[in-house]
Amino acid sequence: MATRDRNWEPTLDTGGEAFDILGNARKAWIYTYLRHHPSTTIQAVVEALDIPERTVYDYVDELKAAGFLEQSNEGRPAKYEANEIHLELAEGDATRQITPELIEAIARRLRDDDIDVYIDRHGLDGLAVALAYTREYVDGGVTHQIMAREQNISAMEAGVILDALRPVVTA
Amino acid sequence: MGDDTDVIFIDSSVLISCGRRESTRFQALAREARQRDTRFRIPPAVYAEVTDEPAVDAYTTPASPVDAAVQEGWMMVTEDPSYEHSEVSAVMDQTRSFIANASNRSEDLVETTDTQIVGLALESLLADAADSVTVVTNDIPLGEAAASLIPQYGFDDQQVMWRTGGEFVAELGEDFVSEFE
Repeated sequence: MATRDRNWEPTLDTGGEAFDILGNARKAWIYTYLRHHPSTTIQAVVEALDIPERTVYDYVDELKAAGFLEQSNEGRPAKYEANEIHLELAEGDATRQITPELIEAIARRLRDDDIDVYIDRHGLDGLAVALAYTREYVDGGVTHQIMAREQNISAMEAGVILDALRPVVTA
Repeated sequence: MGDDTDVIFIDSSVLISCGRRESTRFQALAREARQRDTRFRIPPAVYAEVTDEPAVDAYTTPASPVDAAVQEGWMMVTEDPSYEHSEVSAVMDQTRSFIANASNRSEDLVETTDTQIVGLALESLLADAADSVTVVTNDIPLGEAAASLIPQYGFDDQQVMWRTGGEFVAELGEDFVSEFE
């Protein structure tokens, strides 16, 4: 199999898939799980996650077609690994950066109500901003009160989201 | 003679992380307090921050567990810093500058209340109420301020420690979502 260039320009199809994964936390979960557990079979993914088998197969196919996942072995049972994607998604006049970290944050909303609430309140833009603050936070460059004042949110909400996203930015 | 008194201060970033969604982190903190046979100190500004009327109902505040901990006796809310020692307000001012510098922000974005924990830690040492102090915070600039500024007032580096929540009690640093480990 030829080496895949991982910095390809997104095609229209991939743009669709990128857009889809942002709104589909279960897909985001599958991608993220495989990113943390490379060379995993679909069966293992199904067992580890609380998602119907049929759905996992469908989602894996869609993610594979769009280049988010690829098979990592020859033959059966197929094992999959995630590609480190970095896409720019055009939405009207703006562009949105799609990174594995943003996808992981979206995936976590399935388990973490605080992230779920934050996305409902601030959208994906707000989530991306919070991720940037979290990188600063773990590097020692900001306090939760500073984030709260700059973003005009309560200190509580800033503290919560920084805590919730910390594992996303720390390997 | 006798045991050295280490006074431990806990700030809002750690309390907020412990209060999230019925986590067991508060119980882990309680166990730590029992093992150390100590009462964790909470600055009044921290108490005010975490018991404030929540702007957003959807998040779980640490207000109830903090009040319960105070009732149970393993946490206590301290008095405001006494300005009897001028060093206390001095170190709080320095902390504001330190945090502003560390974050590359204007000092306007750092309030005196943010720095209260450092003032109180110094006050404990000056008043001889403690042989050493530990500041527990996930706000790294605040912890670093405490560790670097307080010794300048005549104390050894070993007398002033700061820890993140996860360094203080391992469970506080654990991921809620274990599948991605």
